[in-house]
Amino acid sequence: MTLVPVTYKGGIFQHDIVTDLIEDLGGYVVQKHVLAQEVVLQCFVPKDDIDLIREISRPLFGEVTDSPLVGTEIAIVSPSLEIHHLPHPSCDIAEYTRRLGAKSNMVGMARGVGKRIAAINDEERDVINEHDIAVFGLGNFEHCIEYKMPNLRRGIEVPIILCGGPDKEALQKIVDPPVDGYVGNVGRFMHRTKESEELAKLDEIIAEITRVLEKRREEIAKDPLSVAPARLMNLIREKVPEIEEVTSPTPLTVQMKGLRVKLPYDTFAPVLRKVGIEDGITIGDVAEVLPSRMRDYIIIRVKPFSETNVVV
Amino acid sequence: MLAVEYFEVECREAKGAEYYKQITNDVLLDHNLLKVIDRLHIFIDPEVPVFVACGTLKKITSLIRVRDFANVNPQEGKMTLVISEEAYLAPMLKIFWERFGKEHVEQPDRFTVILYDVKEDPKVIEEIVVADPSENLFKDLIYAFKCIAPEGFRLRKEKFGNGRFSFVASENTLAEDIDTLVAQKFALMGVTP
Repeated sequence: MTLVPVTYKGGIFQHDIVTDLIEDLGGYVVQKHVLAQEVVLQCFVPKDDIDLIREISRPLFGEVTDSPLVGTEIAIVSPSLEIHHLPHPSCDIAEYTRRLGAKSNMVGMARGVGKRIAAINDEERDVINEHDIAVFGLGNFEHCIEYKMPNLRRGIEVPIILCGGPDKEALQKIVDPPVDGYVGNVGRFMHRTKESEELAKLDEIIAEITRVLEKRREEIAKDPLSVAPARLMNLIREKVPEIEEVTSPTPLTVQMKGLRVKLPYDTFAPVLRKVGIEDGITIGDVAEVLPSRMRDYIIIRVKPFSETNVVV
Repeated sequence: MLAVEYFEVECREAKGAEYYKQITNDVLLDHNLLKVIDRLHIFIDPEVPVFVACGTLKKITSLIRVRDFANVNPQEGKMTLVISEEAYLAPMLKIFWERFGKEHVEQPDRFTVILYDVKEDPKVIEEIVVADPSENLFKDLIYAFKCIAPEGFRLRKEKFGNGRFSFVASENTLAEDIDTLVAQKFALMGVTP
């Protein structure tokens, strides 16, 4: 059974029918937003059952759309968190990915500015490595990007998508070794992206992210995870009731190969390791429960089948 | 760009120049500075790296007086001022307190100020100078150019006066002969020292 990420949008009336249906089919609801009279569900559902969900939600005026970014955590990296990059373009990109279902975090570097002086520190590097993908939003000059990119990408193991002012071809030429994705003509600008061609640029970034993530999903599929991160999310929600008291918007953030749990590591890591999944298998058996560099959160990294020899 | 007589961005990377022209336009527009700048030349060399902005200003003669944002209505024993724009209310009250004393100035609500037992002619009060926008212009300009300049260029040299300004920034120590470069850029606009 392959699960595909979709977004369900519909009225709040009787939306629990849809939620129950998704769960009965073996899918998972990753995020649920209730906005006035509307409900937005970001979920994983079995590929073959999408039509069934469409059918059942039709009388409720529900709408099911593909959203390839559901269940991913994206780092939007900018050289700093100053007015030069915020709110445009970094926030615009972050917001746009969020609309398509991703959980995006902004990472502003302490000393990422300038050309010669640009650098990344170990904390920033580790935080970026906890995400599924990093989108770098750099500046407008080819020469500058060429000079500083080797410094900024040092130690980053997740796929990188580089956005910059020069053309895509120019970016491809100057970055060595190549990164996973490039989007040209999106450098530093000081106005809101609201014209159609600017929105088209944002769509291009999303397309690039989707392409790279798709490749990563295929790689994961070759050596599947021992347990689906979305399943772990539901389990933790069931068995660790303290998670309901966390006030963060997404107390459990699903990633492609793991899960971020926004509970303090020292108190809850042993508890999480002991949570049983099925047939006496616990989370500790199929995943690593590690301290996150982000606050004192926990990051769970699910081990692949080749390491554990179990799939639950 | 409206109202600016000369505006050029010079850079060896054509695409970079185009973007910086857009950035400059956006920032100056946001900070309401387009109407005070007459000519502007920006030079960027990412290889040095250096950022130079120089230009001339329009003559600003408009002092803000009480009559620009308030109506003075003389009445029996008092004078009522109806305020149309709050921006200059605070400096105006300060001036009134000093001049007439706090006991003669009352402000019942945001848009009204009442002066009691003031002997002066309403015409005189209307002419009181409240603020001089050109005082803060230098600060505003420098702030705007800090936003425009590539980030991380923290070593700066600014000059202001005589109706012209220059702003030089880099991440490295500025060259000793940087003033020659600035003079060259001024010459491009047809401004000579």
